[in-house]
Amino acid sequence: MLIQQLVNGLTLGAVYTLIALSFSLVMGILGVLNLAIAELFMLGGYFGFAVLMAQLPLPLALIAGMAGAALVAAIVERIGYQPFRAAPVVTPMLSTLGFSIILQNVATNVWGSDPLQLTDEVLSGRFNIGPVSVSAIQLTVLGVTVLLVALLAFLVQRTSIGRALRAVAENRDVARLLGVPAGRITLIAFMLSGALAGAAGVLIGVHYAAITPYIGVEIGLKAIAVMVVGGTTRIWGALIAGPLMGVVEVMTVAYGGSQIRDFVVYGFMILILLLRPQGLLGGGRSDQGQRV
Amino acid sequence: MLRVRDLVVRYGAIQAVRGIGLDIAQGEIVALIGANGAGKTTVARAIAGLLPYRGEIAFEGEVLKPNNAERNLHHGISLVPEGRGILGTMTVQDNLLMGLYVRRDKAQAMKDLAALLERFSILAERRHLLASLMSGGEQQMLAIARALLSKPKLLLLDEPSLGLAPKMTDAVFTMIQDLRREGLTVLLVEQKARQTLKIADRAYLVETGRVITSGPAKEMIDDPVVSETFLGGRATAAHP
Ligand SMILES: Nc1ncnc2c1ncn2[C@@H]1O[C@H](COP(=O)(O)OP(=O)(O)OP(=O)(O)O)[C@@H](O)[C@H]1O
Ligand SMILES: [Mg+2]
Repeated sequence: MLIQQLVNGLTLGAVYTLIALSFSLVMGILGVLNLAIAELFMLGGYFGFAVLMAQLPLPLALIAGMAGAALVAAIVERIGYQPFRAAPVVTPMLSTLGFSIILQNVATNVWGSDPLQLTDEVLSGRFNIGPVSVSAIQLTVLGVTVLLVALLAFLVQRTSIGRALRAVAENRDVARLLGVPAGRITLIAFMLSGALAGAAGVLIGVHYAAITPYIGVEIGLKAIAVMVVGGTTRIWGALIAGPLMGVVEVMTVAYGGSQIRDFVVYGFMILILLLRPQGLLGGGRSDQGQRV
Repeated sequence: MLRVRDLVVRYGAIQAVRGIGLDIAQGEIVALIGANGAGKTTVARAIAGLLPYRGEIAFEGEVLKPNNAERNLHHGISLVPEGRGILGTMTVQDNLLMGLYVRRDKAQAMKDLAALLERFSILAERRHLLASLMSGGEQQMLAIARALLSKPKLLLLDEPSLGLAPKMTDAVFTMIQDLRREGLTVLLVEQKARQTLKIADRAYLVETGRVITSGPAKEMIDDPVVSETFLGGRATAAHP
């Protein structure tokens, strides 16, 4: 029972990890909380569903969810962030809040406010390892998450674009002096972030075999708590915080009841803010610059 | 090579540069000296393309657009900023690779990097160290080496001696002379006026955003205005 809950928690945690990485990619580079990410996550799910309902395979649905969400993220960047770059940080945050409400509204109008159900099972089968039962979908969620995290890590740590991202994150002026087109890098950060959120949307949709326009508020926003717990100045903190929060949430529901779930998750976030504002992984003040 | 005319830069209500003009010819070391807050850094940042300004900056006959650092780097202007501008969360190697960011000729660029690592052996030794863990002198070397990798024609150095021990300062100044011998043109922003004037060809003395005197560096050392406002009065100038 306990191990079963652990597996369920890790699956949820994997999705949290992806969305938290999405949040902290933008946060780390620009210091801005892009609230529209919660809805990019939701939209990604719908884009993926559209592909699945056309009887196309899951990998295509993932690609559609990622590409679609990345595209919307690019629009958010151009309209909701770029014009406010010089303004105080709350200004772009408010504009992304506006975007997130609009995106939710668009989704309700296009797909309706009732849950959209997947009629055919995308992946069937379960694997029993002793008392623990893991579904093929859970394995897919975990596998895709590991793959995407590995790809992101490679991109950020090993490629020229990744170095440029880290340079802009640490010191925009120095990056510009080295010839980095900071504006374009910002756009890339938003789109990468959107792609991660979109992938998470497809995965959670497939996992529940259903999606609603409100999933962004229910699950997407929780990733902000995950990011805070991991440390807002260290994107890789999400790798610990995501699974942790997923497990905490599932355990809370299993042993405490679902009515206290959000209380525990967001309470944990506030506790971290009070006791360890740099996050579980964040070091002292000295690594304020260490964002990406 | 570089021509600056009527340069005016403001930070909100503060006018930090109030109509500066200067010229740099190919192969020169030109010094920009002046006290704290005179506006030297602002001039250097404007030339590098980090700031909006009024007036005109032209490089090799082409008028530059303000606040367009990326473009200016492609023209061949590279600034080593005040405080060195090291990317401290990255390794020495990643800092150097960032210096190659604009290079299209990747194969030649990697050869240049190898040659540079031979020249700056300390950087080769510390390649995998976080740049923030290096000493001030090593960081300055890294900053200059990184700037060189973009193959600049004009190198702007903003107080490269800041916070360095005298021996390190000497090493940096010697390096600047070596670089000039290799064909690089240098604008050297400094507070250490005497030492700077010794290696510079010409100099501009800046005070509250204006050039108050300029000329050949050797003459500036003996200029009473310079020695009075800057080199610690006539007494020091008389007994160097
Ligand atoms: N970002 C800024 N915002 C507002 N004022 C500034 C800014 N940067 C510089 N200043 C002001 O502009 C003036 C010129 O500063 P600048 O840094 O160019 O001088 P400097 O000659 O380089 O001085 P130092 O020798 O201390 O480096 C100063 O009065 C300074 O206070
Ligand atoms: Mg200065």
